Amino acid sequence: MLPRTIGRAILLLSVEAFFFILFAAFMKTYDTGKVIAFLLFFIGVGVMFRKLDRARLALTDLFKEMKIVAGAGFVLMLLTLPFIFQSSPYLVHICVMAGLFAILALGLNFQLGSTNVVNFATAASYGIGAYASALLAVHFHISFWLGLVVGGSLASLFGLLLGIPCMKTKDYYLSLVTIAFGLIVYILLVNFSWTGGPNGIPNIPPPSLFGHSFKDPLSLFGYQLPFQSNYYYLIFVLVGGSIFVANRLHHSRVGLTWNAIREDEIAARCHGIDVTWYKILAFCIDAFFGGVAGTVYAHYIGFISPENFAFIVSVVVVTMVILGGMDNVFGVIIGAILLTILPEKFRAFEDFRVLIYGVIVVTMLMFRPQGLFPQKMRIYKK
Amino acid sequence: MAEILQQLINALLLGCTYTLIAIGFNLFFGALNVVHFSHGDVCILGAFMTLILYELAKFLGVVTFLPGFLFVPLLIIVAMILTGLIGTFFERVVIRPFRYAPLLMVLVATVALGMVIRETVRLSFPHGSNPQIFPRILPQASFEWGGVLLRADNMIIFGTTLFLISMMFLFIKRTRIGAAIRAVSQDSEAAAMMGINIDRTVAATFLIGSALGAIAGILIGAYNNIIRFDMGLMGGVKGFSAAVVGGLGNVYGAIIGGLILGVVETFAAAFIPGGTPYTDVFAFLVVIFFLVFKPSGILGEKVYEKV
Repeated sequence: MLPRTIGRAILLLSVEAFFFILFAAFMKTYDTGKVIAFLLFFIGVGVMFRKLDRARLALTDLFKEMKIVAGAGFVLMLLTLPFIFQSSPYLVHICVMAGLFAILALGLNFQLGSTNVVNFATAASYGIGAYASALLAVHFHISFWLGLVVGGSLASLFGLLLGIPCMKTKDYYLSLVTIAFGLIVYILLVNFSWTGGPNGIPNIPPPSLFGHSFKDPLSLFGYQLPFQSNYYYLIFVLVGGSIFVANRLHHSRVGLTWNAIREDEIAARCHGIDVTWYKILAFCIDAFFGGVAGTVYAHYIGFISPENFAFIVSVVVVTMVILGGMDNVFGVIIGAILLTILPEKFRAFEDFRVLIYGVIVVTMLMFRPQGLFPQKMRIYKK
Repeated sequence: MAEILQQLINALLLGCTYTLIAIGFNLFFGALNVVHFSHGDVCILGAFMTLILYELAKFLGVVTFLPGFLFVPLLIIVAMILTGLIGTFFERVVIRPFRYAPLLMVLVATVALGMVIRETVRLSFPHGSNPQIFPRILPQASFEWGGVLLRADNMIIFGTTLFLISMMFLFIKRTRIGAAIRAVSQDSEAAAMMGINIDRTVAATFLIGSALGAIAGILIGAYNNIIRFDMGLMGGVKGFSAAVVGGLGNVYGAIIGGLILGVVETFAAAFIPGGTPYTDVFAFLVVIFFLVFKPSGILGEKVYEKV
């Protein structure tokens, strides 16, 4: 029995390693032709996987059987990523940005995916977190770690404020409120003098941990890693935490309640669900995630301006959730990663980026509204 | 006193623009129960259409042999018709597939459509991110009357808007298609049973709404002398706000809502010290206030949800 288990574990890890190496190689290609070749290959694998039922079932069984091994292997591989990209900090930077957007998308997923509340104010909570922590750090020399909590909490408070009009409004009206709030925050950021106006806030200090400043290169096991790796590991932890929270919420009573509101609000109300409270909860949690992502962004880049938090950012995050698959934690993260990495790989078409986002959303909604990875059926064991 | 009068005239002009956009929102909401979030971009598209047609006419030399008082109305009418057709096209391609889908989908789809329109405009003009100079197609004369400055182009704009809005009301009240539009907005299923072609009625709605929106775009261009690809986002949100304040689905409400927003913005800019950059904030606060305390708007009926 034991040798068989070990054999299957090795098989599993080699499958994972194969895809991981493919991913790393894909990240390291800069030639547009090769990038397209890689993408076609990935799509081909996906299609094959759908067609070959036996292979798919065998593989999913394998993953289900050894969840811990699969998870541990995956985490270990992700942890080695900065070592692989040691010579090209740019790639680590892309990974950090992908992580940030994954947090934003996970936050929005509570609303857009779970509850069907279309919130176009993600950029506002993202911006409030960033500005709060940046202002505290620049003017009062408050450490990043405290700023993370303060930024998240302030953004959460904003979410509460935004949630108040939603007690009375829904659907289109609610979306109008969120768009209006997002625009108000943007206009205020541009016009207030104490936020630096359109020039933003420069020279935001980097965080430090145990005397190690995040601005310095990281030395691990005798390797010199670019300074972005610090943030990579920070984001790694934060995304991990977000996934944990999102999963727990999804499988809890709260997640189930959100789904009930999504399916039929009146029916949910009739079953004694306090719809307003749960919607506001979704607003607050989403805004907290946004605030945390904003704080990390501000300290990572070291400079923020209102342009980083314009309406378009909200729409991009909405695109990520819709592309990945609403109310599917894994899918949302894939959506965020895809939409962060692909634009970087197609730098030649930089000008068409937003246009392509728009086209993706419209075509996805028409032909595959459930996203790349649809929500899984909830299965309850006895 | 003269100052207040002057600001009232400005408010009236701004209100006209918002009203024209809001009428579109109300027509679409009445006919389909959808909010076409990219309607503002369609309106600005009307202004860009005028710009393109103007340049084309200049290139072809039409300007030289056609007098201005014939050429400008012709230009505007062609731009209106083209924008109306574009609006109908968007309805057919982006909105109709979602007619029986959850509401969220058409909402997100139209927001994304707005993004596509904006970016297409930006990419198809040289230096599209910069403001484009809007041709001065209206006479630039102005005269003073009791301390109030009246600009000829503003008067023409105001007159045209009044004329168009009353024409539209007549159209809706008196014609067969107008009756069909009213019937569909009351109860589309019953209307279909009475033999009204829903698809064609909805298309007519989008034609009218988008054509009126084109006028709003031209007004914005003529008033500011510039147009920018992203003006449609703000224009659309403001127009929708005006429709909500007046009562979504009620075409008369659009006038009241547009005027309220126009007055709030102009007076906030003129009479609150340092308020000029924050005019949009004041407008949105009014909208949020209305949404919280009177979500059905001023003229809207309270809708009870049926199970």
